[in-house]
Amino acid sequence: MPKDIFVFVELKEGTVRKVSLELLSKGKEIADCFSSTLYAVLIGHDVKGIATSIQPYSDKVIVVENEGLADYRWDTYTGVFEALLGKYKPYTVLGGSTITGKDLFPRLAARSGGAIVSDAVGIDLHNGGVKIKKPLFGGKVISWVTCSDDSVIFITFRPNSFGVEKRSLNGEVIEEKVEAPKDPKMNLLGAEKHVSEAVDLQEADFIICGGRGMKGPENFQILEEIAGIMGGRVGASRAVVDSKWREYEDQVGKSGKTVSPKLYIGCGVSGALHHTMGMDTSKAIVAINKDPNAPIFHYADYGIVDDAFVILPALREALKKTKEEI
Amino acid sequence: MNILIFIKQVADTEARIIIKSDHQSLEIENKYNMNFFDEFAVEEAVRIKEKNKDSQITVCTIGSQKAVEALRTAIAMGADRAFLLDGSKAAMNDPLVISKILAAFAKKEGFDMIFCGRQAIDDESANVGAMASELLGVPHVSAILKLEVMDDGKTVKVENEIEGGRGIFEVTLPALFTTQKGLNEPRVPLITGVMKAMKASIPLIDPATLDMPQETFAADASRVTVLSYESPQERPPVKIIEGETPEEKVKNLVKALKEDAKVL
Ligand SMILES: Cc1cc2nc3c(=O)[nH]c(=O)nc-3n(C[C@H](O)[C@H](O)[C@H](O)COP(=O)(O)OP(=O)(O)OC[C@H]3O[C@@H](n4cnc5c(N)ncnc54)[C@H](O)[C@@H]3O)c2cc1C
Ligand SMILES: Nc1ncnc2c1ncn2[C@@H]1O[C@H](COP(=O)(O)O)[C@@H](O)[C@H]1O
Repeated sequence: MPKDIFVFVELKEGTVRKVSLELLSKGKEIADCFSSTLYAVLIGHDVKGIATSIQPYSDKVIVVENEGLADYRWDTYTGVFEALLGKYKPYTVLGGSTITGKDLFPRLAARSGGAIVSDAVGIDLHNGGVKIKKPLFGGKVISWVTCSDDSVIFITFRPNSFGVEKRSLNGEVIEEKVEAPKDPKMNLLGAEKHVSEAVDLQEADFIICGGRGMKGPENFQILEEIAGIMGGRVGASRAVVDSKWREYEDQVGKSGKTVSPKLYIGCGVSGALHHTMGMDTSKAIVAINKDPNAPIFHYADYGIVDDAFVILPALREALKKTKEEI
Repeated sequence: MNILIFIKQVADTEARIIIKSDHQSLEIENKYNMNFFDEFAVEEAVRIKEKNKDSQITVCTIGSQKAVEALRTAIAMGADRAFLLDGSKAAMNDPLVISKILAAFAKKEGFDMIFCGRQAIDDESANVGAMASELLGVPHVSAILKLEVMDDGKTVKVENEIEGGRGIFEVTLPALFTTQKGLNEPRVPLITGVMKAMKASIPLIDPATLDMPQETFAADASRVTVLSYESPQERPPVKIIEGETPEEKVKNLVKALKEDAKVL
């Protein structure tokens, strides 16, 4: 049996999410080691056009489209995957540890009796199969696990775990027709989506996070400006969310989102363990805090001990200049 | 309303965790709590019972004898009864095994609603809820933010976190819901509740007595094997960026981020 690899391609506003490109990149690397095939699995309504943007990254692109698949639901998407797994029998299915991935993968793993490892940050070859790297206890421990391969192995990865490699594969597009019924016991009454151009917090390369030291919601404007310049996102500590200065979806930390951007900047964030657990896999961490004893300086690579309100305007101008140079 | 809650006892975030020298096992400081996200599950159930008096709330956990503490906390918050499913003989590493035991227990007890946490803060898997609902053949809604039982007592309206916003669903019971922050404010148990919890007798159930074959849950049924535990890579000590003026500090920071960290 070839050890073929499936990657579940997630879309946002009609474009492929970065986490999916990361997984296609890593998936191809592993498929090459196994001399197997990397399949991108694209599900939705009217998505064939999008296939062109993932063909360069994939050996093959499986497209399943119909009206009922326009929005993600676990019932329909599990049905589609069930059919595809039966036909293609992949060794493993990779997806993002996103809101959707966390909803779909366990349901699917239970249906197919497969092994599942969630919220992983790495993968490597092991004994003719793979081993998976997964943080435990908020990053205090890193574990390596393997799964028996007598059934499909489902793995979800934290966004920003891998880089996106440029490739030029031009994978063949295969259309599959699958009718996946909705569960009549669950009706969607509506959805409120805030249409936003900004990248998803978990996928952002750049996050500037405000803590209680920002003093009030109005002072997050400058953080928004800086995030805008950098094409990133504004995050918040729980103290800020509890004070209703920012929405819960912006919260970084143990009870919020786990992020690992290339660059994280904390402004007026004290660096409580509950907060750092959600961001300590960031590539570079900068802390701006007027208290030289703030715990965040134990986690940061670079620190500025000063008033955030005098540093931020200077930082905004400097970053603007940097971006203009590029 | 017959409500079932799955809870997990987890190491406190502050607990010290030592990786043993063989890298095969962990020593966890004796500081445990009910999982953060499960508190919202218990609170929601108690609120439903406050409106629908003839409800019954049953909590259960798979774990060691120690996990009884988390069950008592749930009773102190308002749950009616609790069961400890003996984890000592089960493959605790494999979420499918955990889900199978919980599903078998749920089938035996019967339920209109199951609540469990969005994810456990030790393994951060977010698997058990959706897996158990699949095994039980009932719908699930993940990460709910609002729940309302309709007058017919057979349907609920829920709002949950979806990609980029909120979804609103109408779900026919029985169903499973995973809970998260934002759904409610978990109560601090009253002293009367704590007294009741201290006295409650909590039966220990051997998974083998549930309707499921031994080989589906025994230690060797695990599909997931831990190879090793490692410490996370330590960061070098912070470099404090100096400068006479804010502009100079920022300039030195940007230089370091460009040349040293190479992230700009
Ligand atoms: C179960 C549990 C889960 C939790 N989950 C999370 C979570 O997911 N995310 C999270 O963030 N927290 C979480 N917390 C809370 C966490 O423990 C801290 O209370 C919280 O992170 C503190 O937020 P803060 O750093 O914004 O505020 P504070 O701790 O009040 O820190 C403010 C900082 O700003 C600095 N400051 C003040 N003024 C200025 C200025 N002008 N310029 C520069 N610096 C200034 C101060 O020196 C201080 O260090 C959780 C707690 C518990 C118990
Ligand atoms: N051993 C267990 N016993 C009972 N419930 C559990 C157990 N493990 C997980 N759960 C439930 O499933 C949720 C998600 O856990 P997890 O899939 O491990 O992240 C938890 O918040 C609990 O509600």
